[in-house]
Amino acid sequence: MSYGVTSDEVAEDYVHALQSLTMNTRVEISNLTLIAKENIEHALAISEALRKHIKQTSPQKKLPAFYVLDSIVKNVGTPYTLFFGRQLYATFMEAYVLVDNSTRRKMDEMLKTWKEPVPGTTVGTAPVFPPEVTRPIENALIKARTSAVQAQQQQMRGQQQLMGGRGASVTPYTETPTPPAAGNYGQPGYGTNYSEQQYPPAGAPQPYPHQVNGQHINGLPSRPPTQQYSPPVQQYPSPVQQYPQQVQSQQYIQTAPNTQYPYQSPAEQWQQPQSYPPTNPYGQQAPPVPRFPQQPAVLQQPSVLQQPAVPQHNQQTTQWQPSQAQVPTPYRALDNGLHSLINDIANLIRSTREHVAQQSQYGRTPEARLLTKLKALLQLDEILKGQQLPPDQLALIRTQVNNLSGEAEPPHVPSPQTYSPPPANAPLLPPPVPTPAAAASVLSQLPSLAALLARQSATPQPPVVTPTPVASTPALDPASILERLRKAGVLGGGTSTPPLSTLPGNVLPGFPPPLPFTPPVGRQPLAEIPNDVVLKPSSIKMFRPHLVFNLYERLGQPCNTCGRRFQTDEEGKKKKAAHLDWHFKVNTSTAEAAVRGQHRSWYADELEWIHAREVDDDQRLSNTTAKNGTSANASPAKPKIQYVLAPSANSDKVCPICQEKFETSYDDDLQEWIWLDAKDVGGRIFHASCHAEAYKDQAAAVKRGTPEPVLGKRKAEDDRGGVVVRVKVKTEPSP
Amino acid sequence: MSIPGLGLSASVARTQLGPIDIIETIAVHELSRNSEWRFEVAISQSIELKVLSGTAELFGTELALNHPYTFRGTKAAIYSWHGCRLEVKGLCTEYIAEETPMISYVNAHFALEKSRDDAQESGGEGPRVLVLGPSNSGKTSLVKLLTAYAVRMGRQPMIINTDSREGLLSIPGILTATPFASTLDVEEGWGSSPSSGPSPVPVKSPLCYYYGLENPEDNTRLWKPTVSRLAITATSRLVDDPDVKFTGMIIDTPGSITSGKYSFDLISHIVKEFQVNTILILGSERLEKEMTRQLQAYKTVRGEEVTVLKLDKSGGCVDRDETFMRATRDIAIKEYFFGTPSHTLSPQTRQISFSDLTIYRITSPTTISSNFLPGLGEEETSFSCNIYEKTSAIDFGEMLHSVLAVAYARRGDAQETVRDAPVMGFVYVAEVDARREKVSLLAPSSEDIGERPLVWGCWPEAVLNLMG
Repeated sequence: MSYGVTSDEVAEDYVHALQSLTMNTRVEISNLTLIAKENIEHALAISEALRKHIKQTSPQKKLPAFYVLDSIVKNVGTPYTLFFGRQLYATFMEAYVLVDNSTRRKMDEMLKTWKEPVPGTTVGTAPVFPPEVTRPIENALIKARTSAVQAQQQQMRGQQQLMGGRGASVTPYTETPTPPAAGNYGQPGYGTNYSEQQYPPAGAPQPYPHQVNGQHINGLPSRPPTQQYSPPVQQYPSPVQQYPQQVQSQQYIQTAPNTQYPYQSPAEQWQQPQSYPPTNPYGQQAPPVPRFPQQPAVLQQPSVLQQPAVPQHNQQTTQWQPSQAQVPTPYRALDNGLHSLINDIANLIRSTREHVAQQSQYGRTPEARLLTKLKALLQLDEILKGQQLPPDQLALIRTQVNNLSGEAEPPHVPSPQTYSPPPANAPLLPPPVPTPAAAASVLSQLPSLAALLARQSATPQPPVVTPTPVASTPALDPASILERLRKAGVLGGGTSTPPLSTLPGNVLPGFPPPLPFTPPVGRQPLAEIPNDVVLKPSSIKMFRPHLVFNLYERLGQPCNTCGRRFQTDEEGKKKKAAHLDWHFKVNTSTAEAAVRGQHRSWYADELEWIHAREVDDDQRLSNTTAKNGTSANASPAKPKIQYVLAPSANSDKVCPICQEKFETSYDDDLQEWIWLDAKDVGGRIFHASCHAEAYKDQAAAVKRGTPEPVLGKRKAEDDRGGVVVRVKVKTEPSP
Repeated sequence: MSIPGLGLSASVARTQLGPIDIIETIAVHELSRNSEWRFEVAISQSIELKVLSGTAELFGTELALNHPYTFRGTKAAIYSWHGCRLEVKGLCTEYIAEETPMISYVNAHFALEKSRDDAQESGGEGPRVLVLGPSNSGKTSLVKLLTAYAVRMGRQPMIINTDSREGLLSIPGILTATPFASTLDVEEGWGSSPSSGPSPVPVKSPLCYYYGLENPEDNTRLWKPTVSRLAITATSRLVDDPDVKFTGMIIDTPGSITSGKYSFDLISHIVKEFQVNTILILGSERLEKEMTRQLQAYKTVRGEEVTVLKLDKSGGCVDRDETFMRATRDIAIKEYFFGTPSHTLSPQTRQISFSDLTIYRITSPTTISSNFLPGLGEEETSFSCNIYEKTSAIDFGEMLHSVLAVAYARRGDAQETVRDAPVMGFVYVAEVDARREKVSLLAPSSEDIGERPLVWGCWPEAVLNLMG
């Protein structure tokens, strides 16, 4: 690799290379290590670049970047150790609070290795980082963990042991969207408030099925879905203002009835009365103890039957005006739909009231969820009667009301989204333009509401947790009411809608940065509204936010380099991985190609062009690399291993060709379980060697320039670490 | 060993942006949702733009967050559906516009999506969309937008450029057909055609035919057959390639065909050749009415009616003056040979003697024969003798600094064959040595062009400073 002379240039190039590092691939990491080694005279610049990269990159990319750091300090050592050591605490902890649990676990493991000498090297017996560096991190983690143990019932067993045999494991508790104790770590006072934890030990953490947004452990904030910058730990304000709503998991309580609520956000207190549904034999509930109540308390507050709204609600109500400015006039056409909607809501209100009344009749405190629901319904009703809403929103409401009446299984709110001012949930509440057809079609799909209502009143509601949908909202709008309903667990929640980052400027004051990035409500229905555009002047001018949704959220998460979006499902992840791989290859080979000299290819001739097929960049990878046969072997430390990451679930998949299972092995560099000699072809996993055999023709086109076909089936270990012999392949310029 | 900063372990300092990011002349623009940041960067200048937060798209292609994009000599707009913050380094003329026709444009896209879905279901062909409008009404921008949206949704639109004033993945003077399967290049407009090295944005493969004149009216006898040939080949690809077939075509046109004597003749030629079934008209109501009237009774061979729809012209459309256009053309030629600053290419010069060259010259804007009557369904008569002038040695001096197209044909082929042959590439006449009867030609690579005929048009015009 040829690099410029100045440290700045080196750093810049390094950052560039780092930016394409999104996966935990040994090849790239060792390559980056090598660069660091070769440019040791620029160690300061490189370490700074890496440190900044870790700080600024998105949480998903932090771990690979840490592995680069880890690899550098272990393989190169000083002066990198010295440079990284200076700020290791900040670097580590800032990242730690942002990443998800599995990453945290990896980081813990990595930290552990830092306290030991590098295995099998000449560095000596000194630990990778001196204890002065690692100890503060450990201390902070212990502190955070201690508080977390009481607060969040998750544990990292390995780390616990590491931290001194504190081996108590806990039932995974994943429903609380926001860890209220976020700000605790680093504030010793919090930690001491917790008593020893009371949760029954469970096996390895098992995430809840509904869990969406990452588990919460260690009292650290949940990983924000999209995070471009790192919030500093101490900026997490105290829970009271920051996390006005807590969605508590009733499911959790049911599953582990003896478990007490470890924590309840103070903000929730006024949400009382809160009780559990009649089906709960234990009658437990979250006591309104201001801070981290330890014991179950019997509900003290009387029912508030006729007055379901708690004071705050009333306060809210006064403020709660959807912005009229957004509402244009023309949707009288929808009146019918509107009326039926209002009727349905009225019915719902009635049935909910009855429900509440029943409960209180038997001397029980009405389920808080019901109250919340009732409250929200009342407000919704009020809105619908009081003002005109654009059809989009009506359709939304309609769908949600429909769900409300029909849905039996309470989904869980994926994230602690609070109501943001309109700009923050722009995709949600776009300037309303009437879409009568869309709304109508949604309406037409409705099953009989009466039937649903009947079913609802007949069926005991599944236990759901009472969220506190109110509070801290400067201005509410219909969508936020819907969200309350959703939070009440009665509405279907969009689970994996990728959030859009919003304007930092619009972040609610006092919010920690992650919150605005959480998915706003109501996206799901947006996606379901059909595309009704026709090429007619009248149709073409209406704004249909649900269609724009198809170009953004529905496509998944964007690539950080080019903005291309990828789904977050398995296939999308694979595509993205291939895509990022392609970026990386292009980046690394561009510099060399420039030195060698490139030229414009001739355009294609007709026949060639007609029979050519456009390929995606992930497929293009093989071509590009093959064309630049020499480019990829810049460093000899690029062994080629054919593997795929082993699926997390224990899978007994077999290779479709030989029907044999895959060999699972743990890769120390990747710190991942991998399937050796495996290859992913369009979602199916083959033995790489089997596949090469079966598709010799394609393989002969030289995948990644490696002479696979001649090697046949072989033990994958044999060539690990080996130097790959590159073949320069003459390829015709592809059309 | 003392390590600074450790004593403060409990306090983690936060700096959102490193000092590196603070450079003078940085402006941060806040776009509210559904607004557009329009900017013009002079030819000699460049700006670097980053999207700090939110979402932003440039003619439909989404920009990555925090990725620096460099723009030079550009007049463009960045639109945000959700609001965004842009950081701009460098100087440009810019403003934020709240009023845009984007809603109708995105709706147009989704209307097309619907017929693509239908096509996919029925196994038929996706919509063939013709975009018409006067010069500087945003035709190419709309085509680009529709292309980018289609690509984002996993489609593979076939983009046809019949406007020889501006090249698409090629130099001006060329008519192209290109299937787009990958992200458009935000900085370079469309992207680039393949080169021997890796490209940071996936390359696109255009099929090129040389027209070599500025306007279709300049020589309709040449323009029409060239368009026909383009249509035949593009349609053949469609038949062969289901992904492209279901997505259909989007056709960009020169602004000049919307007015003038041959206007409807030329438009209907495109409509007929490409089996257009959707016409989007930018800005001109008159044109809309006229097209609707003219095509009322017309049906494509599949029996489809043609939908004509007028879309509003964007307020962001600016007149690009001749100086700017000229500079843009020169840059396009330069980039063909030398690449872009971020992706440089190394062309080769070679000396060839006059006698080894077969050069056809496209007769400069001719008066068009009067037997040429406008109307649908008119068949071309064949011109076998005088499509081109064969260049004799006397003309070689005039050739200096011209760009010649290398045709996929052989020496001795009939003129129609040369006309119908796609373009293999271009050479630039760097020097003419009349005394030794040699020319030195700048070619993209050292690969031999053999005895392929060269076609010499007057468009794009000679570029004096290409080698300088």
